[in-house]
Amino acid sequence: MSSASIIVVIVNILLAVVLAVGTTPIMVWWERRVAGFIQDRTGPNRCSIGGFRMGGLIQSFADMLKLVFKEDFAPSHIKYKFFYTIAPSIVFFCSFLTFAVIPFADTLVIDGYSYTMQAIPTQLGIMWFLAYAGLSVYGIILGGYASENKFALLSSIRATAQVVSYEAAMGLSVISMLVTYGTIHLSDMVAFQGQLLFGFIPAWGVIIQPLAALIFIVTAFAEANRAPFDIAEGESEIVAGYHTEYSAMRFGLFQVGEYAAMSASSAIIVTLFFGGYHIPWLDTATIQSNIYLVIGAIAVLLILMTYVLTKWMKKNNTWADENDSRSKETKILVKAFWMMTVVVCLVLVMFIITGLGTNGVNIATAVIQIGTFLIKFFMMSLVFIWVRWTLLRFRYDQLQMLGWKVLLPLAILNIFITATFVVVVGS
Amino acid sequence: MGVKVVPRHGASLKDRLYLPAIAGGMKTTFNHFVKNLKDTSNLRTVQYPEVQPTDITDRYRGVHRLTKRDDGSEKCVACYMCATACPAQCIAIEAEERTDGQDEKRPKKFSIDLLECVYCGYCVEACPCDAIRMDTGIFSLTGKTREEFVLGKEQLMANERSKDFSDD
Repeated sequence: MSSASIIVVIVNILLAVVLAVGTTPIMVWWERRVAGFIQDRTGPNRCSIGGFRMGGLIQSFADMLKLVFKEDFAPSHIKYKFFYTIAPSIVFFCSFLTFAVIPFADTLVIDGYSYTMQAIPTQLGIMWFLAYAGLSVYGIILGGYASENKFALLSSIRATAQVVSYEAAMGLSVISMLVTYGTIHLSDMVAFQGQLLFGFIPAWGVIIQPLAALIFIVTAFAEANRAPFDIAEGESEIVAGYHTEYSAMRFGLFQVGEYAAMSASSAIIVTLFFGGYHIPWLDTATIQSNIYLVIGAIAVLLILMTYVLTKWMKKNNTWADENDSRSKETKILVKAFWMMTVVVCLVLVMFIITGLGTNGVNIATAVIQIGTFLIKFFMMSLVFIWVRWTLLRFRYDQLQMLGWKVLLPLAILNIFITATFVVVVGS
Repeated sequence: MGVKVVPRHGASLKDRLYLPAIAGGMKTTFNHFVKNLKDTSNLRTVQYPEVQPTDITDRYRGVHRLTKRDDGSEKCVACYMCATACPAQCIAIEAEERTDGQDEKRPKKFSIDLLECVYCGYCVEACPCDAIRMDTGIFSLTGKTREEFVLGKEQLMANERSKDFSDD
C-alpha cells in the first residue's frame, strides 16, 4: 500500500465518522435554532466562550459536556445490567455503521490506482444500509426491555411494530430503484444519476421514480424514529419512551444514535434520489476538463457567500448590552471570515495560475464532489428538521394504516410499473 | 326550524391524499423560518436581562410599598386589617403610640415576608387608609438568603410608584 492509498482510506473513514457522529452537536444546534425561527422564538443564543456565541452553537457543546460529566446512574431495580448498558451502544453503533457504504465522491484515480470513496469499500451497497438501519431498532427494543419499566417496554413494542411495518414498504421501494438502476452498488447508482434524461434533465432518482422517492423518504423518517413517526418516545403518553430510565451519557448515546440515524437516512436519500455527489449538468469528466473554470466559479461564490454572511451578521448578530464581550463578537468574526475567504481565494487563484497535475485535477474534483455531497446532505437534514417542526405525531392506528394499507400497496404497484416499463423499453 | 347541514371534511380525494395539506403546512413554517432568518428583530423573544419588558400594566401587582403623607411619615395606622386579610399570613406588624399629632397609632415594625406572599392584593383591598399599595412595578426580586426577602418598614417605604405607570 502506498502512502496515497493510506491517506485516502483515512480521509474516507474520517468523513464517515465526522458525518455520523461529529455532526450531532451541529444537528442539535440546527434543530433548536430552526425550531425557534419556525415558532418565532430565538432558540439558544446566549452561551458563549469569551464572547463567541457562534450563533448558539456553543450551547450544544455545553450540553454535551454536561452529559459526559453527569453521574452514570443505573436504577437499582434493573436486573439485566449488561443489556441495559449495551442497548444505547447498539443504537449508536448501527446508525454509525450505515454511513460506511455512502460514496462521498466519484472513484478517485491517483497515479493510475483507483480508489472507491467509501469508508468500507464493500460490495453490499444498499443491502448494508437496510441491514444496519433495521438492526438499530434492536438497541431500542433491548433498552426498553432491560429498563424494566412499563412505559419503556410499551415504547419498545411500538418501535418494533413500527419498524416491522415500515421496513417492508422501504425494502419494496428500494427494489423498484434496483430495477431502475440495475445494480445494488451505491456508487454505480450515483454514476447512473450523472446522466441526462432527454439531454437536459438530470437523471436523478427523484425525477425517474417520484413515487419510490416519496415512499422511501416517508419510511426513512419512520426508520430514523423522527417526527411524525416518533411514537416510540411519545412523551404525552409514555413519559420518554425507551430512554425513560437512562441518564447521563447512556442517554447521550441514544441521542447521538438518533441524530446519526437521521444523518444516515439523509445521506442515503441524497445518494439514492438526489444525485449523490453530482452537481447537476456537471459530471466528473466535465469537471475535470473545465477544472480551472470551476475553481474560479467557486472562488467567486465563496466571496459572495462571505459578503452575504457578514452582512447578515452585522444586521442580526447583535447584543443589547454594549459592554458585554458578546457585543464584540460580530466585528471579530466578520474580520476572521473575510481573512479566511481571502486566504482560500488566494490558494485557489494560485492553483489556476500554476496549474494542477493529473493527480491534482482528480483530487480537486473529488474535493468539489465531497463538498456538493455535504451541501445536499445538510439540505436533506434541514428537511428532516423542517418536517419535525411542522407535522403532528401520528396516532398509532393511523401509523399502521399508512404503513400497511397505503405505502405497501403503492410500493408493490410501483415495482409492477417499473418492471413493466423496463421489460417493454428494454433498459 | 331548518336543519343546518355542517359539511364534513376529509372525504375528498385531496383531503385523503394528505400531501397537499402537508405541503401547505410546510409552506407556512418555511415562510416563518425565512422571515425570521432574514431579520431577527421579527422574533417575539425579549432578550430579558438586557431588555426589560415594557408591557407591565398599571394594575400589575408587584412588590408592596407603604405610602407616605406629605411630610414623609407613614400613612399606616397599624390597624392590622392587612395582616388579618392576608391568606398567606406573611405580614407582621408591631404597633406603637404616635405622639406627633398626626394620628394616634403607627407601626413600630412592619414586615412582609415575600417568600410567603402570594401577591393576591388582599392587603391593598383591606387597607382603610390607602397606606399599602402594590404599584411599584417590581416583578423580579432576587436575594441570596431567606432574610433578604423579609422587607421591613424602611425598605417598604423606600419603594416608590413605578415611573412607567400613568399618574393616578
